[in-house]
Amino acid sequence: MLVNSEQIISALIETVQMVAFSLLFSTILGLPLGILLVVTRKGHLLQNLPVFNVLNGIVNIFRSVPFIILLVAMIPVTRLIVGTSIGTAAAVVPLVFYAGPYIARLIENSLLEVDPGVIEAAEAMGATPWQIISKFLIPEALSSLVLALTIATIGLVGASAMAGAVGGGGIGDLAITYGYQRFDTVTMMITVGILIVIVQGLQSFGNIAAKKIRRR
Amino acid sequence: MIEFQNLKKVYESGGQQVAALNGIDLKINKGEIFGVIGFSGAGKSSLIRCVNLLERPTSGSVIVDGHDLTSMSVKEVRGIKKNIGMVFQHFNLLNSKTVFANVAMPLTLAKVSKDAIKKRVQELLEFVGLADKADYYPDQLSGGQKQRIGIARALATQPSILLCDEATSALDPQTTSSILQLLKKINKEYNITILIITHEMAVIREICDRVAVIESGKIIEEGTVFNVFSSPKTETAKNFVSSVMNDQIPDSIKNIIQKHDGMQKVYRINFVGSTAGQPLLSELAKQFEIHINVLFGTITELQGTPFGNLIVEFQGSDKEIIRALTYINQKKISIKEVTAHAS
Repeated sequence: MLVNSEQIISALIETVQMVAFSLLFSTILGLPLGILLVVTRKGHLLQNLPVFNVLNGIVNIFRSVPFIILLVAMIPVTRLIVGTSIGTAAAVVPLVFYAGPYIARLIENSLLEVDPGVIEAAEAMGATPWQIISKFLIPEALSSLVLALTIATIGLVGASAMAGAVGGGGIGDLAITYGYQRFDTVTMMITVGILIVIVQGLQSFGNIAAKKIRRR
Repeated sequence: MIEFQNLKKVYESGGQQVAALNGIDLKINKGEIFGVIGFSGAGKSSLIRCVNLLERPTSGSVIVDGHDLTSMSVKEVRGIKKNIGMVFQHFNLLNSKTVFANVAMPLTLAKVSKDAIKKRVQELLEFVGLADKADYYPDQLSGGQKQRIGIARALATQPSILLCDEATSALDPQTTSSILQLLKKINKEYNITILIITHEMAVIREICDRVAVIESGKIIEEGTVFNVFSSPKTETAKNFVSSVMNDQIPDSIKNIIQKHDGMQKVYRINFVGSTAGQPLLSELAKQFEIHINVLFGTITELQGTPFGNLIVEFQGSDKEIIRALTYINQKKISIKEVTAHAS
């Protein structure tokens, strides 16, 4: 084995950091975007087709670019925001631009599942658009939103492996540079094993949380 | 009070214009239970949704308690909505919230204090008979219980108007009846004006004071429930009335009439109110040389007044029968001859 346990632990920490920060920022970006994609569409709360069409187009553009290309293409933006294009912090920027639009779509889907009758009842009560979003739409979709964020987090774990290409580090990077490029089968097995445990853990956590919210 | 003035609603659908409401003029008085009945697609749903501007009319006015909603700002309308409760066919409760939180919602939106909310919700749950279900979630309740919660929620802000959009259409007959009794109680105890939209004539008969029949976006008949039920004028109204009044002559009776056609006289007699209390048939049998054979009959109650419908056969000489008919007419009781082909 070409790596020691210290390397694995620090790689694990890097992965956790990358995923946690990019999840945080991409949710901050994706949640309002997802809400806007719902409420500005035709016949909805704040129907505004120009806004909807522009946002919809932007999300589609970001969702079409393969992550590895986005990673390189975003380098100037990364430099502008983080000051450098190398390292764990630098990897977070492309991850956010990758996961943000993805989360927006997932959130849009969850919110669209809310019974239109509930929104109608809210309107009949004289709720403001903001009250309808915060007190009706989001609480009704919460369990489905948690599952959506679980999917997004697992997607980020996968994408963070590729972030090794910009020196982001992390478990995935270890798997690629040692396991794949240097044919170190043991490192490959260990790193992939760790990733499996992480993904399993995240999915189980998400399922339990969603179930608890749904209270059935 | 709710008033519609020349209300029109036109939808754009695939480049075609579809008129859901085609000039509605209707006045619903304060404190009454008013029913609007129509087949699906007649425009009744659009009509009720115009009262709280869930749908904006294309033209015309909606006047609620003296305010013309169509000329008010969005913000002003939101204020007025606190005075208009609404109950839905599919309840539209928040499944993620407890019964308590659901009923409290309109008060939370109005930023009422927590203590006041608690007191009011408790009161409402007791009123609808579900005080023990405060911590339940809607999916743990039956349809009838869900609708009671929907009603409690609609009453939270002490509205003066309650809109019921097919409120009992998703419920079984027994539950329907208990929900209707609850609505009646609300109307009596709080003097709340209730507007009910339905396709079930039984609902109208059970609790409404007045009724309007809507067809193709127009009101085609309007009047007290008693008048519309006892003498419907339009074909649609007649259809609705016969759906609950059971005044159609059954086929077996029709066969009898057909067999003897020409040999005997069959009549339909309608008793209304106090005339239902008179022993008419025995008087006829005593005073005239005729035999009376009752073929079919129903007696129901409409708004507390008895309403009877009898199909009888008179046997006797033409002269005696004519005398008997004159006697009945003098009593101002409605009688019509039934032929084999009529209903």
